Amino acid sequence: MKRLFAILLAVAMLFSLTACGDSSYTTDIFAMDTVMKLTANGANAQAGVEAAVREINLLESQLSNTIASSEISQLNAGGSGTVSEETAQLLTAALTYAQKTDGAFDMTIAPVVSAWGITTDTPRVPSQEEITSLLQLVGSQHVTVSGTAVTLDAGCSVDLGGIAKGYASDRIAAIFAENGVTSGVVSLGGNVYACGMKDRKTGWRVAIQDPKDSANYAAVVTLSNQFAVTSGGYQRYFTAEDGTVYQHIIDPATGYPVKSDLTSVTIIGTNGTMCDAYSTALYVMGQEKAIAYWKAHSDEFDLVLINAGGQVLYTPNLEGNLESVEGSSYAYQVIR
Amino acid sequence: MRTKSSAKLKPCWWDALVVAAVLLLAGGVFFLFYLSNGSGSDHLTAVITHKGEEVERVDLTSLTADKTVTIDGTYGMTILLSTDGAQVISAQCPTQDCVHTGKISRAGQSIVCLPEQVVIQLVGAKSDIDVVIG
Repeated sequence: MKRLFAILLAVAMLFSLTACGDSSYTTDIFAMDTVMKLTANGANAQAGVEAAVREINLLESQLSNTIASSEISQLNAGGSGTVSEETAQLLTAALTYAQKTDGAFDMTIAPVVSAWGITTDTPRVPSQEEITSLLQLVGSQHVTVSGTAVTLDAGCSVDLGGIAKGYASDRIAAIFAENGVTSGVVSLGGNVYACGMKDRKTGWRVAIQDPKDSANYAAVVTLSNQFAVTSGGYQRYFTAEDGTVYQHIIDPATGYPVKSDLTSVTIIGTNGTMCDAYSTALYVMGQEKAIAYWKAHSDEFDLVLINAGGQVLYTPNLEGNLESVEGSSYAYQVIR
Repeated sequence: MRTKSSAKLKPCWWDALVVAAVLLLAGGVFFLFYLSNGSGSDHLTAVITHKGEEVERVDLTSLTADKTVTIDGTYGMTILLSTDGAQVISAQCPTQDCVHTGKISRAGQSIVCLPEQVVIQLVGAKSDIDVVIG
């Protein structure tokens, strides 16, 4: 009888512990021109999330194009200056990705983006002459980084918006590790970091939004200690006076919004900065070049492409991981 | 270790009371934990926050008629809630991203208005999705 009591008590106490082991802390914040949700599990969840939020705010104050006192705004206003080591490293990384993607990702597109006024209160369609003239300011050759000293050619400016959130997710991964957070998931507006596992058995289930149906997902991937970044033109756009719809990602080669056969590009890898830069670059490239680029760099990342023809194309590493969605109209195909 | 005082270890009514108390407490914590876990609920719920403050939490599954929620602020917006989802039907903000998002109907999805700092999130309905990207 006593044994029975002992066993009952032990089982009961075990149940009461389930609540402690699953303690979770979540915060939503508006930063870097998007809404962010940070969740961590375990004893250090709150400390980890709060440290991550402090880092996001710090990075925004350094890297923002809309905060006049940021290092990037000061650099753009003055044309040259000394920046922090961290900002210099990120500028160098951006130059590297521009070179690797043959300019499909290019932070020097900033003057053209400003002319379009996309994501501002007053978007407009610039004239062809204006775009042609501004395109002369676009290109990595206009930026010189030497240590922490940065110089821009006259009239040029940079925008780290295509890489800053990815970098922030890398920093959050490091901060979670420093704080002993081993399970969590972070969503920084199109940028996801899956830290560890959701529980003992499963990773984090990340749904990729269906670009043509806001009520549905196109696919689900399960991630652990990975980053995923999606780019697409389907949510942010404006309609000009003549009825033409212009989406928000500008092709650095033409100066016009991308006219891609792709509707959504998701990059999955172990480096958030890289995933962020590549998601924009491969969206700009279009399907054929994006697949060719992946084939040349298949050891660096995995890829999910959704095209206007109703296909979801994914790389072989995701076989057995990527799930189709019940009732989906998409055709699912592995890229070979 | 064998002792002669084994009679003292005989369970009495007080022991039973302690066992019952522990069982009750553990059971309570167990159920509280599972009930408070949003993803375990089979009701689709819309949670609307404005500048970080929760302003509305509506159980969509239990709605008997469509419900309209108006957010006042710098721009303001009108949100339509129905049993199968949520949608911003009009907004005075310049970018209209929230209107462009369209209707959302699955737990884990959200509509965001950056200028007005409004987030409409769907939770519950036994979702097995942790985060939506795109």
